[in-house]
Amino acid sequence: MVGDFFSAVGDVLSSETTYSSGWRLAVALAFVAVGEWIAERAGTINISVEGSMLAGAFAAAMGYDASGSVAVGLLIGAAAGLLVGAVQAHFSHNLTANQFVVGLTLNILVLGLASFLNSSLKPETATAHVFEVPGLVEIPLLGPALFGQPWPLYLLYPLVPLAWWLVYRTRWGLEVRAVGENPQAADVSSIDVNARRRQAIYFAGITSGLGGGYLLLGQVGWFEDAIVGGQGFIAIAAVIFGGWTLRGAMLGCLLFGSANSFRLSLPAVGHPLNSELLSSLPFVLTICVMALFAHRTREPQSLARPFIRGLR
Amino acid sequence: MTSPAAELQGITKRFGAVVACDNVDLALQRGEIHGILGENGAGKSTLMKVLIGLVLPDAGAIRINGESRRIGDPAEAAELGIGMVHQHFSLVEPLTVWENVILGEPIRLDAAAAKRRVGEISERYGLAIDPDERISDLSAGLRQRVEIIKCLRRDPAIVILDEPTSVLTPGESEQLFEVLRLVVERENKAVALVSHKLDEVLAATDQITIMRAGAVVDRRDTADADAPGLARAMVGRPVSLRSEGAALGHIEAFEDDRLATGPVVEAARATEPQPVLSIRGATARGRDRRTLLDGLSLDVHPGEIVGVAGVEGNGQAALSDLLSSLLPLESGTVRVRDERPLPGRPGAMAAAGVAVVPADRHESGCVLDMTVAENLTLVSPPRPRTGRALLDRAGRALLDRAGRQAHAERLIEQFGIQTPGADAPMWSLSGGNQQRVVLARELSGDPAVLVAAQPTRGLDVGAIEYVSERLREAAADGVAVLLISTELEEVLDLADRIVVIFRGRIVGEMDRANLDVERLGLLMSGAQEAAAS
Repeated sequence: MVGDFFSAVGDVLSSETTYSSGWRLAVALAFVAVGEWIAERAGTINISVEGSMLAGAFAAAMGYDASGSVAVGLLIGAAAGLLVGAVQAHFSHNLTANQFVVGLTLNILVLGLASFLNSSLKPETATAHVFEVPGLVEIPLLGPALFGQPWPLYLLYPLVPLAWWLVYRTRWGLEVRAVGENPQAADVSSIDVNARRRQAIYFAGITSGLGGGYLLLGQVGWFEDAIVGGQGFIAIAAVIFGGWTLRGAMLGCLLFGSANSFRLSLPAVGHPLNSELLSSLPFVLTICVMALFAHRTREPQSLARPFIRGLR
Repeated sequence: MTSPAAELQGITKRFGAVVACDNVDLALQRGEIHGILGENGAGKSTLMKVLIGLVLPDAGAIRINGESRRIGDPAEAAELGIGMVHQHFSLVEPLTVWENVILGEPIRLDAAAAKRRVGEISERYGLAIDPDERISDLSAGLRQRVEIIKCLRRDPAIVILDEPTSVLTPGESEQLFEVLRLVVERENKAVALVSHKLDEVLAATDQITIMRAGAVVDRRDTADADAPGLARAMVGRPVSLRSEGAALGHIEAFEDDRLATGPVVEAARATEPQPVLSIRGATARGRDRRTLLDGLSLDVHPGEIVGVAGVEGNGQAALSDLLSSLLPLESGTVRVRDERPLPGRPGAMAAAGVAVVPADRHESGCVLDMTVAENLTLVSPPRPRTGRALLDRAGRALLDRAGRQAHAERLIEQFGIQTPGADAPMWSLSGGNQQRVVLARELSGDPAVLVAAQPTRGLDVGAIEYVSERLREAAADGVAVLLISTELEEVLDLADRIVVIFRGRIVGEMDRANLDVERLGLLMSGAQEAAAS
């Protein structure tokens, strides 16, 4: 039994498809996590990324159906994600409604809307073509995973350094970090706290919508209600897992994506393992990390705390 | 003579019913350090917030260089050349020094230039600092340097410092004042130094404006001022007269109740010389590593009221937290009767017999949305003891509605709580009656020690009298009462023995018989720390 398991693990680890699908799944998470990371650095646990992602996926399907172009589909997906983010931002950082209540409501609303529209409009979709980066795709084991994928996946590669540069090398990023840590101090230094927080959520909405579009046009190929199925939440878990650093969050995405692909490929190589159990792995890992490193990782000091001027 | 750098005229600001500033005039001259002296809540900070644009006044005018201005937010103030060093640091801890200094400026982010600029300012004013250091790694003194650099970076003509030394060591304070002197003499800036500390205002300023209860009560040239005179002006002549009178036994208010309880106190102390509450060398730090208590030692005997006098922020809150089991100690012990409750362990102090009337009624004294009966039985729903631990425990876990109701109604009658009924919501009661509920609850458990923190804050005269009466009665019944109050008047009125708390330690003690109000004022401001020990 144990021997079986290890031989299964061996099979899975030596198969290029494992890496390839693991990377694909990780990238879907990373699109969301990179935006969520910025939103959380600004002080919002933006759970509506799940809704943004789903809205992005459905809008991408509609966009592709209407135009026949993957690029247009992705663009419309990003716009739909932004729309969900804008609603979240307005309610939680203009009207100071509870960000979790707003996020929950949005997620349910988007799910219902997308499901209804999908059943009545039935968009026709396809998957984007695979683009092999010449030369790099030849790298053994990892080459096809990293550089032999549907082309929307490559959008993530510039997005991650861009997010890093925004947060650590621009004034906007400095203010975003200040606002998530000590909004009163930021306010005294004449920074518009809630505007920065809203902008960070817009960013998360765009990347999540893009992530949804990628999921649909780069991976699955058709829309179904369960296409996102909690991946937005796993991305939030990745940000927490990574201790609110970009590197850590991306590592979390890779880990959770791999775990997911492991789950998918075990039965494929003929070794059924309880896949429900495996799919809970990201959350188990996050809980373990939080239990082990809770005192060491530093979350933004004002995370999930609304800012109202004049209150100290 | 040219017009002052900044002139405030007839500034009035109300917060609800409270008048924070009442028709205040103030002029800040170039090349001068202007001390604004007053107790906490005297309106100093509000006045400065008006000048920096954080608070909009209800009435009054602001003139900058003789021109009438309206200052709506700190950015506008900055444009007019007004900078402020805030009382609570306005620094973002995980960011570096240079990031904090340039925070909020509408320029391109250029790390090298920002660091150079920090270097220039720190050199010009002798404020050495490493621009790449993270704020969270800096001591309080260095953090303040960063605040000052942040303020001076824009080269303001007017610099406001709000209680700048409250977190500094004496050495750091001296350095700060040297920098201020430099700023004033070399660059002809106008400096406003807000403080409640007599010694530093005397040492560092040129002009002094003294505020009390939102109004200016006195103005002096520092050269003509002395500490006892300032102390009297700051605390207020009526208080001083009354307390001095009280010390001599001349005031009639004391003749009825005080004399009646006096002998009881004596008797209690004579029969039981052992203190019922004894704190030894209590040292504690906050989460930000700031020292809250610094080797505080204190005894309270049964039947006496010990008043802890002091300026707010010198460890009163920590002392009250300690006795509410909210604060763990780094070192030191607390003994209640023969027990040694573990500080910081939830419920330990209450189990040992310490009852607490917390300083903030609404935050920790009661639950406004629950009923009067629920509030009265919040701590320990009364139950007849069966003598079996397990049954008692189970009994406590379940709420006995009828028993609770009866108990609540008894307390309502006994403490004269004016309420439409035991089931009325707590928020429907007046402040005085809410405080009666808290007092009734705390006293109903027959405590050995009663800690009353700011027990009369925000109450009207009648309610104040009632609370005072209850505290005296509790002491007469043999309870050891610890009164923690920043209202000197209250301490003088109630306490048999007064200890002065300063920077987390007890710096002086005096009996009612040897009361010296001026010395008390000096002790409170830390001016005579050496003389006290």
